[in-house]
Amino acid sequence: MWKNNEESNNYACMNRCLTRNTSETQSSWKNFCSLLKKDCQVMIAGKFFLVAFGSLLLYTMFINFGYINFMNDKLYNVYLYDPQDTQTESSELLYSVDSLEELNNILATDTSGVGIDASSGTPNIILYFGSEKADNHRADYALSLLHSDIRYTAKTVGTNTMELKQRKEISCELLFIEIVAVGFLGVASVLFKEKQMGVIRVHAVLPFKRSLFILSKIVVFLLSDLIFATLMTVFNVGFPDTIYILPAILVQTTILSLIMALMGFGCTMLLNDFKQFSLAYLIIAIFVTTPVFLSANTSIKIAWIDWNPFYQVYMGLKNAYFGISTTNPIYYVFSVCGIAVLFMIVEIIFHKEMGKED
Amino acid sequence: MIEAKNLTFSYGKGKQVLHGLNFTVEDGEIFGFLGPNGSGKSTTQKILTGILKGHGGRVSLFEQDISMAHMQDFFQKIGVLFEFPYLYANLSAVDNLKYFSSFYPTEQLRDIGEVLEKLEFKPDFLKKPVSSYSKGMRQRVSMARALISNPKLLFLDEPTSGLDPTGAVLFRKIIEEERKKGTTIFLTTHNMLDADLLCDRVAFITNGGIVALDTPKRLKEKNNNHRIRINYLYQGKREEKTIETPELKRGIPFLHDEIISIHSEEPTLEDMFIQYTGRGLS
Repeated sequence: MWKNNEESNNYACMNRCLTRNTSETQSSWKNFCSLLKKDCQVMIAGKFFLVAFGSLLLYTMFINFGYINFMNDKLYNVYLYDPQDTQTESSELLYSVDSLEELNNILATDTSGVGIDASSGTPNIILYFGSEKADNHRADYALSLLHSDIRYTAKTVGTNTMELKQRKEISCELLFIEIVAVGFLGVASVLFKEKQMGVIRVHAVLPFKRSLFILSKIVVFLLSDLIFATLMTVFNVGFPDTIYILPAILVQTTILSLIMALMGFGCTMLLNDFKQFSLAYLIIAIFVTTPVFLSANTSIKIAWIDWNPFYQVYMGLKNAYFGISTTNPIYYVFSVCGIAVLFMIVEIIFHKEMGKED
Repeated sequence: MIEAKNLTFSYGKGKQVLHGLNFTVEDGEIFGFLGPNGSGKSTTQKILTGILKGHGGRVSLFEQDISMAHMQDFFQKIGVLFEFPYLYANLSAVDNLKYFSSFYPTEQLRDIGEVLEKLEFKPDFLKKPVSSYSKGMRQRVSMARALISNPKLLFLDEPTSGLDPTGAVLFRKIIEEERKKGTTIFLTTHNMLDADLLCDRVAFITNGGIVALDTPKRLKEKNNNHRIRINYLYQGKREEKTIETPELKRGIPFLHDEIISIHSEEPTLEDMFIQYTGRGLS
């Protein structure tokens, strides 16, 4: 009899716990929706979405009307002085001049151009000194135009055309910059407003889990970044290619967006005003984007770049644009752990902010 | 309702701000907590509202140790009016109240329109953003936010600050109504008139310690010098005399033609505060 009573008590206790957990989950979901709705209202009032849409249009116009045309331009003009017609297989891209004096005058105005003096029968390169590497490149290019019969047979990797490759590269770079900037500055613009209005302190006495406040902010920015990444890719890479590469792009966008939004949240809570925040942003932007772009897009190699998490994310995003999914599990384990640690740090800072003096 | 036993708190090493506070607040009581800036008043309120953790001693609210309490249940039972009207400036009064009330169970909530009407909020501004409101109107919306969830325990920090005299009278009336409903009220204020008119008991806090705790009436009586100041006219001249209260038993003990005014020299609550703490309430 006693045992039966104990069992029924245990069941009753379990039922109470289950009912409580279910109602807590329901109320957490309801609270999360309220926070999400309010965050959207604040962002709409702060014209955040309008700015993001403006950036999208600006980037799209730059890629389609500026960057692609610029990349298709000839690298350097090459001028040939060959009074005895010794160069018989020269390219149509060469501009012929009638005298050495004319060649010098042209090079004085077109300083990035390259001149070839073939008056002695042997081609001599004339150019304004720049940097050693670039000058060698210019000289090689100019000499190659004297042998237009030689067909270069560089191996083509992948199915991307020259233009598509350029579109993917620039879209990836601009998307990375946008997320680094918008995730970070966007959270700050919303949170500084809430800090100034003092409403964060009101949340300290409301019946909801504090982590939901952080979660709703990063979810709004994540959704915004995902929509931005999708539209950016569709507008600039084209719909057929986007279908294949989009899932991998969205995975990398999610990782970068969460990291930047959490960093922005933490910095906003720690710093007093937007001026201090702008300075912090400048430092972070310089240390995040400069070494990443230098290492990923130029021949400069920084010894520690592999340890820079943003470099790994950028390369993940770039590979995604070129249809190569990052499959290394260590990368994803580090990303998830990093985001979790950032979330916990932000939670501690947020609690401290709520307890601050008026 | 509230019990603090030997309550201590420090913001890091060597920064102890509360030095063993002891007080209780009974159910349905209005308890005034008075102290100058930096006395530990806000810290105490933050501990009682569950914002600050890591205190020493024991703090019980709703007969439960606050360190052990399920905070979401706890926050459902309290309402807090902050010193400044913290609201979303881009949202209207109604949207602010809808948002803040969405965190409470629906069955617990009061009607937004009804609460705002009680606070004599101008209906024209209901849908306009808070940024266009005067300080008094913002304070009314803040009060509505504190009351909307029908709290059992209400923390009010300078409730009449920023209100005109009519608004202050209205707020005092609403606070009285809440007490009649059985709500316990913890009032933090610099306003001695509010404390005197509203509070059942007041505590004077200075340098992190309570130096006096009693009803406003008893605090004043304890320090009463039992003197009366009389202004009168005699033979066309205006004069003033101070007499001991027992002397009045046999009527006015001096010659006069007309009594202009009689004032007891009972100290004010502010006089008492200065006497106990040696500091003003600024």
